[in-house]
Amino acid sequence: MSFRRKTRYSVKGLLLLLVIFLVGLIGLGCIQGLQPVGWSGGAVSGNTLFVGSLEGRLVAVNTVDTSRQWSDELKAEVKSGGFNLGCTLGGGGGAKVAIYGTPVVAGDLVYLGGYNGKVYAFNADSLGVRWVYPPDDYLRDKEKKVVPIIGGLATDLEKVYFGGSDGKVYALDATTGEEKWKFVTEDEDTIWSTPAVKDGTLYIGSFDKKLYAIDTETGKEKWRGPFKTEGVIVSTPVVYNNTVYFGSFDRHLYAVDIVNGKEIWKFPATDEAENNPGNWFWTKPVVYKDAVYAGNLDGEVYVLQADSGNKIAEFDLGSPVSSAPVMVADSIIFASRKGAVYNLDTRSNQIKQIADIEDEVYGPLAQSEGVIYIHTPNLVLHRINADTGAILMSISLKSTE
Amino acid sequence: MNAWELIIQQPVINILIMLTQYLGGSFGLAIIALTIGVNVIILPLNLKQMRATRAMQEIQPRVAELQKKYAKDKQKLSQEQMKLYKESGMNPAGCLLPMLIQMPIWIALYQSVMLSLAVAPEGLLNLSRYLYSWPELYLILPLSRDFMWGLLDLAEPNVVLAILVGATMWLQQKMATPVSADPKQAAQSRMMLWMMPMMFTFLALSFPSGLALFWVTSSIVRIAMQYYVTGWGALVPTSTGDTTDRDKKYKKLIGRAEGKSSPDVGADIVIRDDEREQTAGDTGDQAPGSARYQSGRDRSRHRKK
Repeated sequence: MSFRRKTRYSVKGLLLLLVIFLVGLIGLGCIQGLQPVGWSGGAVSGNTLFVGSLEGRLVAVNTVDTSRQWSDELKAEVKSGGFNLGCTLGGGGGAKVAIYGTPVVAGDLVYLGGYNGKVYAFNADSLGVRWVYPPDDYLRDKEKKVVPIIGGLATDLEKVYFGGSDGKVYALDATTGEEKWKFVTEDEDTIWSTPAVKDGTLYIGSFDKKLYAIDTETGKEKWRGPFKTEGVIVSTPVVYNNTVYFGSFDRHLYAVDIVNGKEIWKFPATDEAENNPGNWFWTKPVVYKDAVYAGNLDGEVYVLQADSGNKIAEFDLGSPVSSAPVMVADSIIFASRKGAVYNLDTRSNQIKQIADIEDEVYGPLAQSEGVIYIHTPNLVLHRINADTGAILMSISLKSTE
Repeated sequence: MNAWELIIQQPVINILIMLTQYLGGSFGLAIIALTIGVNVIILPLNLKQMRATRAMQEIQPRVAELQKKYAKDKQKLSQEQMKLYKESGMNPAGCLLPMLIQMPIWIALYQSVMLSLAVAPEGLLNLSRYLYSWPELYLILPLSRDFMWGLLDLAEPNVVLAILVGATMWLQQKMATPVSADPKQAAQSRMMLWMMPMMFTFLALSFPSGLALFWVTSSIVRIAMQYYVTGWGALVPTSTGDTTDRDKKYKKLIGRAEGKSSPDVGADIVIRDDEREQTAGDTGDQAPGSARYQSGRDRSRHRKK
């Protein structure tokens, strides 16, 4: 082989390597959490389940005959100039608008927040848009960047509440979408937590590692955790018997006094079987009959006494638990990241795997009439019979099918 | 977690996050520090690649001579070129192997930077499974995306940084690209010289600027290494004296990186300009076969000096 041919081959080889490298960069980058996709759960009202699809639409699924209805696709800000391989923040430039929060149904309206920095109120019947906030623009921070809405919404029928990635908590008129008040957190750090509203007070966690209690009428702060957790708070707080329960990235589950925010107890996640310190408490715990049931990203479900934080039991689900569980009668249904579905009987504190949907599960579970609904990242709504664990025919959320 | 994630990705991610913790919470500084650190670790590979490139550059005048001499006898030309090529101890594809070995390292670094940045919520959720049980790791996450007093958002593309990616990559490639006597090969080199920086500029405009920062740092480190080894290379023509000084530094560096004594190192492939001129003058119409580079003799000359 001549020298010239060899050198030509080496240049071709370099070009080939370059192409492989670039394809690898783009391919690997895009599938590993660079692009916001969304993990909305389902909200049931009557015979309809509402869910935010990965196509950026609100979908209404009839739970009886499985017929579906789609809203128009949510629109993201169109960025001018530059390039977009669908790998940057914002979900703009033709990408689908990611929906992370579960829709909230109140009366004849369905509320939904999007990664595009907008909150929508849809007519529950027609899925037509009743109002949008902000009406003419997108929610923007001080630098005029769009503020993604990652946490879900909460409502007390008068107002709709949500936290933004700009570190502010917003209250909108539930009927008109008009902004009623805006609360600025201390460090104006990101908020991904879904607010919990009870008896005129809103509770919400923040990336600034504090839990806030805000008066829903005035938007004034009642208290902010007199303590500070050591990690950010993403999980949705749960209010039960004058106590607020929430998890943190510092691998602890907290119980604080509803009146003054003082810590009552904190529980450190530890996987005793593997002698491993646990992982983040990402998802919302369930409090039922004086016991707290909390999934952790270490794959464990911890069962604690609600008043003392003492551990009652611990169950290994095999892979991280990031999706919020759902209650069916006296059972709590959990799903692990890898798609294993478990039924935890709260009377006996026994857990058993009832199904395996063999799909990744990130979003909250929903239930209606003893059927569990799980929305997975491939635009499929899985259905499982909660009693028998039988996997029912799944429902595609694709608007083209 | 697969083997790639367990052996390569997970340690790099944890080191990156720990570095952020110890560098005042600045993820940008952590990217810079890790990129420099990795470059130091793979210094022998880098130097090997530079040496292969340099060797190719060194024999170009002799290749041109042979091409001129055997313009009409392709078979003989091939034989003589192969001989020259073999005796000078180099392989035209010699820069491919080190590059191939380095590629997984760069891909791991790239993936680690992107995973640690956790641009989308899925990214942060995904990141949790890579974390060791060190308490510090859990407290600092999610990492701050601000760099340079908030001037740069590492999660967003940045035009200035994208241009810097292209410029530094071009500069580094220009320094490293051998001057080819063959017009076709020179044209291919020119194409490569522009294509890669342009593609990376394009990518930098599409990806979070944390990745662009990693590319820029990497290019700057390589520019510094290239300068230390070959000076400005093809960018600025160097005088004979400069080349000799660089040769000494280069040999010393290669020796240190590969654990050899400096007089032996690199002697096989270094042909000094004055020797080359002298050889060309002596041989005159001599057949190229007798004028070819004799590695043993040259090595002894080097030793005497």
